[in-house]
Amino acid sequence: MGDKLKGRNAVVTGAGRGIGKAIAVALAEEGANVVVCDIGGAVDGSGGDKTPADQVVDECKKHGVKAIAQYGDVSKFADAEAAVKACVENFGRIDILCNIAGIDKPKMIWNMTEQEWDQVVGVHLKGTFNFMRNAAPFMREQKFGRIINCTSEAWMGGTTHLNYGAAKAGITTLTWGGAQELGPAGITVNAICPRAKTRMTDDPKVREMVVKRVEKGLMDPSVLKRMDREMVDPSAFAKIAAFLASDDAALVNGQVFLTTAITIARYSKPAEITKAENPTEGPWTMDMVKAAMTPAQLLKDYVNPAPPAPPKA
Amino acid sequence: MADRLKGRNAVVTGAGSGIGKAVSLSLAREGANVVCCDLGGGIDGKGASTTPADQTVSECKALGVQAVAAYGSVADFKAAEAMIKTCVEKFGRIDILVNVAGIDRAKMLWNLSEEDWDVVISVHLKGTFNTIRHAAPFMREQKYGRIVNTISEAWVGTVGHCNYGAAKGGIASLTYATAWEMGKYGVTCNAICPRAATRMTMGPDVLAGYKKRVESGLWTKERYDEVTHVAGPDYLAAIPTYLASEAAGHVNGCIFGSAGAFFSFWAPARESAIYNRDWDNFGPWTVDDVEKCMPNLLKGYVNPAPPEKEDKKK
Repeated sequence: MGDKLKGRNAVVTGAGRGIGKAIAVALAEEGANVVVCDIGGAVDGSGGDKTPADQVVDECKKHGVKAIAQYGDVSKFADAEAAVKACVENFGRIDILCNIAGIDKPKMIWNMTEQEWDQVVGVHLKGTFNFMRNAAPFMREQKFGRIINCTSEAWMGGTTHLNYGAAKAGITTLTWGGAQELGPAGITVNAICPRAKTRMTDDPKVREMVVKRVEKGLMDPSVLKRMDREMVDPSAFAKIAAFLASDDAALVNGQVFLTTAITIARYSKPAEITKAENPTEGPWTMDMVKAAMTPAQLLKDYVNPAPPAPPKA
Repeated sequence: MADRLKGRNAVVTGAGSGIGKAVSLSLAREGANVVCCDLGGGIDGKGASTTPADQTVSECKALGVQAVAAYGSVADFKAAEAMIKTCVEKFGRIDILVNVAGIDRAKMLWNLSEEDWDVVISVHLKGTFNTIRHAAPFMREQKYGRIVNTISEAWVGTVGHCNYGAAKGGIASLTYATAWEMGKYGVTCNAICPRAATRMTMGPDVLAGYKKRVESGLWTKERYDEVTHVAGPDYLAAIPTYLASEAAGHVNGCIFGSAGAFFSFWAPARESAIYNRDWDNFGPWTVDDVEKCMPNLLKGYVNPAPPEKEDKKK
């Protein structure tokens, strides 16, 4: 295997299964020592089990690197601190941090409980902050660091889990801002936006729906083909994260990459694409606003994602 | 006075000062009844006072509409519920929700305390969730609603308060998702990304900070003038007010840069460079594969913060 990360030490959260596991193993294959963090809970965040983290530790060790497990809760500041310190104390320093841990509790907004909101935002967004916050002082001191966060296309909206989407958007902003704050110290902060088959995404019903739509001619067959190529084990693209963690990626900072088995894409930042100037010296008036809010001006190429349903006949 | 919101009932958070106050008065000017929500705390979220909310209530009433105050913290799920219920119980229903309440605790990531993170995320992001969550069932039932959130240019990354930026990024996503989920029920959800002179952006401490940047050579005088030449929030209040009107039914899931001199449409992030492999012939990516396609992917990219040169360091 490769040696692009030889002598580097990494902390990977959510490393017991899925994308986190694939990345932990990919880093180990490239020679990095790994702190394998996983609480071992269910997709909805309930429960706990040491087995997933322990198994990945064994798997990493097979590649001739050192590996240890951490079973804490990423949403707890002290647990994150302990995991980062475990890396520094056992391996000497922390070079790489991959924040992958995540859960999902899907509900429509009008049915979502406070707890469902708190838990999902706590694990994803606060969890990512907790690890970045605790790793940053070490990385600044040593003038080297690689942070890789995990966002999702849900960051730009969608339905049924706006807790998840909002947390992912927060992580995206944290990636952009973290890159600006930490870049001068030789630290890069990037994010992956993955598509893969994991216990969170593996849903045969989704494929059935796409098959039906393709059969009815409502969807291009390439959609299904892409889906089948992409809904595979995340080990297919885990080396993308390994590259971002390497010395060779020093120039890549503050970027978000769509990562799949067949595609890498770089996301732009949101941007102001149309603009209306206030024609007067005074405040905007309702009429001035209304006049600008048209397809000819501000709403160029805009499509309402969910127009009102027509009244039932 | 006008009547484009006559008979409509609104809840505005952060209504005691700044943008929230300007929007409350603008809604009232168009005939809407307003629940003016404000904890009356400092910019950092500390302290509380009933005076700011009460003052906005008086000013709204002077415009001939009904207005009541709510003094709870938007970060508190139950207090947010009470704000929405106050509107329904006092005015009959809730048509408009404008989320403006916000605080700031600025620190670099490596100095940011857990508490500073939690408080800022709670007020902005959870606060916005809390009010939308409680308003949604009413709006869905009546098949009408207008939700306007407040984000910030910090949502695309910011130096010195990543807590604030992350919360604003979360609110942007919440805006998109709420638009998707609620749109078919006749509810719109949009956000403004304001630039206005408020105590948060132009208070004495902030101005002193800007002046220091000029003195230290970090900023030019021109940059200082550009940043400080900003109109008050009453200049942009018509933008969220328009979004709260029936006429804006076709606008859903949008983010508008909003200032006195301009307003703009923010497009979400998009895949700006794509590298596709041969779909029928590939194995797992290797590090070398990834490295090879990076030059194409990074075309036009500028490192936002390259490492400092050794010789520049003391």
